Amino acid sequence: MKKIITTVCLLVTVSQLFAQQDTLFSKELSEVVVTATRTERKLGNVAVPVSIISQQTIRQAGSQRLKDILGEQAGIFITNGFGAGLQMQGFNPDYTLILVDGEPVVGRTAGVLDLNRISAGNIKKIEIVKGPSSSLYGSEAMAGVVNIITDKSAASKLEASIRYGFGNPDKGFVLPFSSSAFQNTEATLQAATTIHKLGIRFFSNANFADLISIRPYSNDRIPQPVTRLSNQLQLTYPLTIKTNLTVSARMSDDNLKQAFAVSNNGAITNSYGNEINRDASLNAVIAHKVNARVSTSLRLYAIKYLGRQELHFVEKPDSVYLDEFRQRFFRAENQTDVNWKKSSLTFGAGYAIDEVNSTRYDDLKSRKQNNIFFGYAQQEWRPFSGLTVIAGLRYDNNKLFDGAISPKFAVNYKISPRFKINFSAGRGFKAPDFRQLFLNFTNTAAGGYSVFGTIDAQTIIAKLKTEGQISEVTDDYYKLSQLKPEFSTGLNLGGLYTPDDNTSIRLNFFRNDIENLIDSREVATRINGTQIFSYINVNKAWTEGGETEIAYRGIKNLQLSAGYQFLLTADKDERKAVREKTIYTRDENGFSRLLKLNEYSGLPNRSRHMANLKITWDNKKTFFTTRFIYRAPWAVGDADGNGLYNKQDEFAKGFLQVNVSGGTMFTNMLRMQAGVDNLFNYQDISNLPNLQGRMIYIGFYYNFIKP
Amino acid sequence: MKKFITPFVVLSVMVSACSKKDTTPNPTPADPNAFSVSVSGKIVSVKNLPADTIIGVSAGGQPYGAGKYAFFNFSTNSWVNNADSATANWDIAFSGTTIRVNNVTSGPGNGGAFVFNGTFDGLSSVPVDSVFKTDNHPVSYAIPKGSGKGWYNYDGATNLLTPVPGRVLVIRTASGKYAKVEILNYYRGGSTPSASASDAVKTSEQRYYTFRYTFQGNGTTSF
Repeated sequence: MKKIITTVCLLVTVSQLFAQQDTLFSKELSEVVVTATRTERKLGNVAVPVSIISQQTIRQAGSQRLKDILGEQAGIFITNGFGAGLQMQGFNPDYTLILVDGEPVVGRTAGVLDLNRISAGNIKKIEIVKGPSSSLYGSEAMAGVVNIITDKSAASKLEASIRYGFGNPDKGFVLPFSSSAFQNTEATLQAATTIHKLGIRFFSNANFADLISIRPYSNDRIPQPVTRLSNQLQLTYPLTIKTNLTVSARMSDDNLKQAFAVSNNGAITNSYGNEINRDASLNAVIAHKVNARVSTSLRLYAIKYLGRQELHFVEKPDSVYLDEFRQRFFRAENQTDVNWKKSSLTFGAGYAIDEVNSTRYDDLKSRKQNNIFFGYAQQEWRPFSGLTVIAGLRYDNNKLFDGAISPKFAVNYKISPRFKINFSAGRGFKAPDFRQLFLNFTNTAAGGYSVFGTIDAQTIIAKLKTEGQISEVTDDYYKLSQLKPEFSTGLNLGGLYTPDDNTSIRLNFFRNDIENLIDSREVATRINGTQIFSYINVNKAWTEGGETEIAYRGIKNLQLSAGYQFLLTADKDERKAVREKTIYTRDENGFSRLLKLNEYSGLPNRSRHMANLKITWDNKKTFFTTRFIYRAPWAVGDADGNGLYNKQDEFAKGFLQVNVSGGTMFTNMLRMQAGVDNLFNYQDISNLPNLQGRMIYIGFYYNFIKP
Repeated sequence: MKKFITPFVVLSVMVSACSKKDTTPNPTPADPNAFSVSVSGKIVSVKNLPADTIIGVSAGGQPYGAGKYAFFNFSTNSWVNNADSATANWDIAFSGTTIRVNNVTSGPGNGGAFVFNGTFDGLSSVPVDSVFKTDNHPVSYAIPKGSGKGWYNYDGATNLLTPVPGRVLVIRTASGKYAKVEILNYYRGGSTPSASASDAVKTSEQRYYTFRYTFQGNGTTSF
């Protein structure tokens, strides 16, 4: 009898621990997603391409930071420079909105939100919506939206874990804890309980790692010890039967020690210091169910970000380099959902304040502020079973620049219980960022050129003009007063086919036409010949391609999944110039010849092919997984000097990265997991400085509360 | 058995092929970094013409040269002595990214120039509607200075300078004759350092011109 009880207990534990396990394919269509429509919808009824990364996938991959798990997805590439950014459907990191529980994370540097800032430890699932989604989310949602949904389960829990990793990219093998080992230690504590009606969840994670950073265009490895702390506290309380209050506070604090040897034309400058990335946010949501048909919610959100780098110079002890960026973002919004039998309406409105103080602008004390009013509505029709039609519109009004209208139209049609197709068309936008509006930079070392943000450029140049300092202004100077948001129009056509209960095939084709891209241009010249640059809307581009994900589960305990993305991109003016035969390259002798259209390779830093393969064996007690991630070559430098990227230019080598991991449950309370990231120690110092060498790790997870 | 022999034969052929190549005596190799002028039909190739190469780096990190020009004469295919700088004995002069032609502010000659968009071979004669510009040293030059403005692009991220392909410098010489010039490279040995090369290499290897030209000595505009 006792044995039976133990077995039952064990089974219950197992099923709880793996509660987030992917559902069977027959049930896949009924998985609930929120990001696609801002309301809970079954995946089978969603009309836009959505991928879900489950908690089990994140755990089994041994991911520590958000970067680790997103980097294993087909069609997503982690970019290097200003931290780890996310490239989706061929868009730069600036154009994907990143949300935690539906609220945006702020603090981008040069448009990049460093994905290392977010711990993977308490993520319940990640929803990735592809295609323009500004009709619901406003600025930045041009390539799509990544929504990180944290674990909110009410079950009592007290789990502690420790994980230790080591490696050395230059050596084949090093001993753990040895002096030559680069080490990565992580400790996590998670607790959840309900006292009376108050639900309390707490998550805390500390990570100490000997990261290596590599200065661009050099081969110097720089040890960069980093300490990362993440905490989250979440409280939920049912005010009445119909009204729920959720308050969550989140903070993360990254501290990187830095030592640089910067070579400037052969003169070496040694500097040391530290970098801080710190954010803290508070989010309160009151959700009220008015009646069976109507529900409404009020969301209040505040987030504060501090990015600070301070460097001291060995050769010049009295001079200090300080870069500080402080951002504050507040938002209040209301959303109301009305459901009828054959249709639903979602509408909302809100007000946001975005504020920045930075040394990158004229003065750290001077506050730059944008105020945004927005309103949106989305109607969903379900005229008959299997068909969903969605039309939506949002308007964002900005204090500092033009407003943006973002429409969206989408259709989802279930041809049979095993086959659905969906089509969506929409417009996305990205508001000019503070750098483009307010940057105030003069390079005294390199000849004294200046870069001014669009708003400041006009006042500064006007002042210099009255002082007789300006010799000429270019035509672009007159475009400064008309800065517009960047826009894209995206089309997605795809489908999901499940030929049997063990197989699923997803396919999606996309095309994005991007206009008003902001770039820097020379707007004036000083009388001493130095140039003044500013930002205007200049470029037009497109990205197009196809992506597929195939999963198969026909063999007992075995799961196979494969993904692939094909991508083409182009700058429209560049492509036109090539077509009109005004662009040249060089032949093998170094002599000029016309560039052919099929030699033009589009935007840099994009791979034409990306693929991944994942093999998992899992018997619910023990698992092994191997993940292969491939990326084809991508353009990194304009070697022939024609100003655009073509086959003759410098490309980074294509590469294959392999990660393996495995784990087992010793008892119903103790779990162990080990793995090797970057098994074959692939490295490309110039082009993938963020890719660390091979790391071997082991972790133990203990749950104090007997289930 | 046959299966076994085949790879053996292939292997031995490969070995002999390699050794044969290795034992062939090399003709004395020309120093790829040396200044040289070679003539092939109408086209003259010039390699490694040093144009005020770097002698030091300022406190602000700016590399500098001695401020000298390299003067060149198209009719004699030769590098002209600096002592002749004030004469009409030169047609083109290089110093860093500055290129000058022998005229008013640069010399006593009848020089002029403009940048033609197209290939070297495709330019069979000076177009009828051509406008030759002259230097207005130090404000402006017949061949404009600046990244993307004339004959080169400079990448601030990699600190590398690349001549733009499809740019031909059309030169009116000091004596009023015509030449067409294609600049092929700006670095010693005629090859641009890789983006990941050290700053020291990028600095020391720069300002060595490799170019080719055709000079029309009979005074007509056809090449």
